[in-house]
Amino acid sequence: MNLDAALQTYIVESRELLQSMEESLLRLERQPDDADAINATFRAIHTIKGSAGLFGLDDIVRFTHVVESLLDRARDRQVPVDDRLTALMLDCGDHIGHLVDTAAGEQPVDPLALETRQAALLERLETFSPSSVPRVTDMASLPIERDVVVARDEAVPVGNGAWHISLRFGRDVLRNGMDPASFLRYLATLGDVISTTTLADAIPDAADMDPESCYLGFEIDLRGAASKETIESAFEFVREDCQIHILPPNSMVGAFVGLIAELPESIERIGEILVASGAVTHAELVQALAEQEASGGEPKVGEILIEEQVIQQTIVQAALDKQKQVKEHKAADGKLVRVQADKLDALINLVGELVIAGAGAGVLARRHGDGALQEATALMSRLVEEIRDGALRLRMVQIGDTFNRFQRVVRDVSRELGKDIELVITGADTELDKTVVEKIGDPLTHLVRNAMDHGIESAERRQAVGKLAKGRLMLNAYHDSGSIVIEVGDDGGGLNRDKILGKAVERGIVAAGASLSDHEIYQLIFEAGFSTADQVSDLSGRGVGMDVVRRNIEALRGTVELDSMPGVGTTVRIRLPLTLAIIDGFLVGVGEAAYVLPLEMVLECVELPEAGREAPVHRAYVNLRGEVLPFVRLRDHFEVQGQAERRENIVVVHYGGRKAGLVVDRLMGEFQTVIKPLGKMFSRVQGISGSTILGTGEVALILDVPSLIQQAAVRESAHIGLFAQGMADRASVSVQ
Amino acid sequence: MAKTILVVDDSSSLRQVVGIALKGAGYDVIEACDGKDALGKLPGTKIHLIISDVNMPNMDGITFVKEVKKLPQHKFVPIIMLTTESQEAKKQEGQAAGAKAWVVKPFQPAQMLAAVSKLVLP
Repeated sequence: MNLDAALQTYIVESRELLQSMEESLLRLERQPDDADAINATFRAIHTIKGSAGLFGLDDIVRFTHVVESLLDRARDRQVPVDDRLTALMLDCGDHIGHLVDTAAGEQPVDPLALETRQAALLERLETFSPSSVPRVTDMASLPIERDVVVARDEAVPVGNGAWHISLRFGRDVLRNGMDPASFLRYLATLGDVISTTTLADAIPDAADMDPESCYLGFEIDLRGAASKETIESAFEFVREDCQIHILPPNSMVGAFVGLIAELPESIERIGEILVASGAVTHAELVQALAEQEASGGEPKVGEILIEEQVIQQTIVQAALDKQKQVKEHKAADGKLVRVQADKLDALINLVGELVIAGAGAGVLARRHGDGALQEATALMSRLVEEIRDGALRLRMVQIGDTFNRFQRVVRDVSRELGKDIELVITGADTELDKTVVEKIGDPLTHLVRNAMDHGIESAERRQAVGKLAKGRLMLNAYHDSGSIVIEVGDDGGGLNRDKILGKAVERGIVAAGASLSDHEIYQLIFEAGFSTADQVSDLSGRGVGMDVVRRNIEALRGTVELDSMPGVGTTVRIRLPLTLAIIDGFLVGVGEAAYVLPLEMVLECVELPEAGREAPVHRAYVNLRGEVLPFVRLRDHFEVQGQAERRENIVVVHYGGRKAGLVVDRLMGEFQTVIKPLGKMFSRVQGISGSTILGTGEVALILDVPSLIQQAAVRESAHIGLFAQGMADRASVSVQ
Repeated sequence: MAKTILVVDDSSSLRQVVGIALKGAGYDVIEACDGKDALGKLPGTKIHLIISDVNMPNMDGITFVKEVKKLPQHKFVPIIMLTTESQEAKKQEGQAAGAKAWVVKPFQPAQMLAAVSKLVLP
């Protein structure tokens, strides 16, 4: 007998069944409540469908499935058995007959007509269907391979170790017709059974033993490429009666951990993560969840799985890590609100106006001398301050993203240069204003490339001086007295002081014979038209780099300076204001005018001693607790008319490690300062960085402390130079 | 010695195809067209596995399983029931009667073989 013969049998059988179905249907038409008739009809369709699957006659399976579903419901009286139903069933029977004919290949039927008829019938069948009956369009995906016991071999890496299978058969296994030995034999078809230990300690004394009960347990080691799912499916018929634990080989733990890490982030539950990776089967998870529920939901699923010896601790840990990662991502997604930058800017502008208006109210309250009103405005100004800080914080972003972009730059550039350079990032969580972050990228790129090109030596040279062949580039950021400091450092050869000086003299940037500190010499490389590279490479050394860097940074109200140690490395330090909009200021008065100092640069205020008042411009320094403090008289600096107050004050300011005093008439206290840029006309005025509006409506100038400090220092050294000159003159006189 | 499987189904074509598949895998096959027929063939025969449909005339599969469980010689024979996905209630009835293994119709011969081999290897 062969399959062709079987197919012939099927066709004959189907025709007989259709014939008997027709008889039953006709009987039903006369007696709608004839249960036998409806059962027989159902059985006929059921049998036709069941056997059709064996021959791969999918057309018949699909259509009969719909008919069968309807008949099943008719059998349960969910659908009334009436003329409409029997008429439809008769038509369906005819149609199935045609399908069987087609399968037999006997009668060439026009496939198009057949299809049209089927579509019409399915539509009629549909009218009986509640939503629970599968729709026709779903049929294509439905048949054959659902819920079947076929073993699925998934691609799971083969481990060296063995699966450990722990089996405890239930007492009723034998009574249910299951032979433990047959499962072990089947297991042997999945891989090599390395060892089997039979556990007989559960067998009671002979007198108490029930020969029909199974008391055995097995510990099996299986080596093979089968997946956990496949191994578990071997026991699917005894699963309900038995305790089965399948522990993956230790060598596969790594593979599972890897799989877990690679899972998409759509899965959030620990159990689902484990199932998706194949470390735990669906059935095991269901059981663990049931156990969890039984014990009041207390132990975690992962703990249960470990305790039940379903998987190793390491795998659960990997899944937990994954879960945490997914949750963090979700949380981060949830916490972020995208806001258009201009909306934020508008808000900050408004907050700026609010600050000014608040200050105005404060001034009025003081003028009225109304205590309650003053208290109210004080409270309000405190709140405004908080709003201001909050609003500004909205614009703050971490510099880490900007830094991380350089990983790629460093990688590419070091390849280009043939140097091995690693990038070390610190302070990535330092926050600064978004506008600043956007504008700092270009100068940083310049500095990084420069450091890699000129700073870090070639590997041979490094090894020759006993350094690691691998160069190191450092990006660092931190907050320092109200500004953010960004450092670009390298562990290269450092700057060549003499070379720079020589070049500067050659280019006419400094006069020959000028005495400059190392620091000042290093600063020279930021001058326009300066380059010391012997060879101009693609990356840097055109002499446009460093001065452009400085200009960019100064445009952000920042400064740049450079430290270098020969043979140890170079660090470029960029100082930037934290924000570009609002600062805490310290208000001082000179003559009629008011000036604002950034509060974070103010160290202390002292009274100007009598001696200091008399000091000429070129000897403007005082003794501050034993320290030389150069100072600038703002009255002189800004050429304010009129007499100085009887008592003047020195405001001690610091910036970038240097200190200086600013002599003012009055100290007017803290003041929230909304920075308004100065017009182009004033861009050349030294010592002023912006303006602001006071509560009274007056304009106050914001002092550019760094440049004033610079000025004080220059004046001091100029004076020393002058002094030296004078000594020389006198010496020459005495010689005469 | 080859293992013997009793196939009970009212569709002779299904019996034939299952028979071909099982014989091809090395089993001996006995066929019966319904529960009553099958019960008649049991006495005196060593059967290793029964595959039975649920819906059959004369004696349905559930009743047949209950009867088999009463026979001392055959009560431990594993039984695979054939069912359709729409018969969840039948499945539970069958499980109560003592059938533990199920294969859903329609199935491919290979799927049937896979299920059989888990219970009895040829």
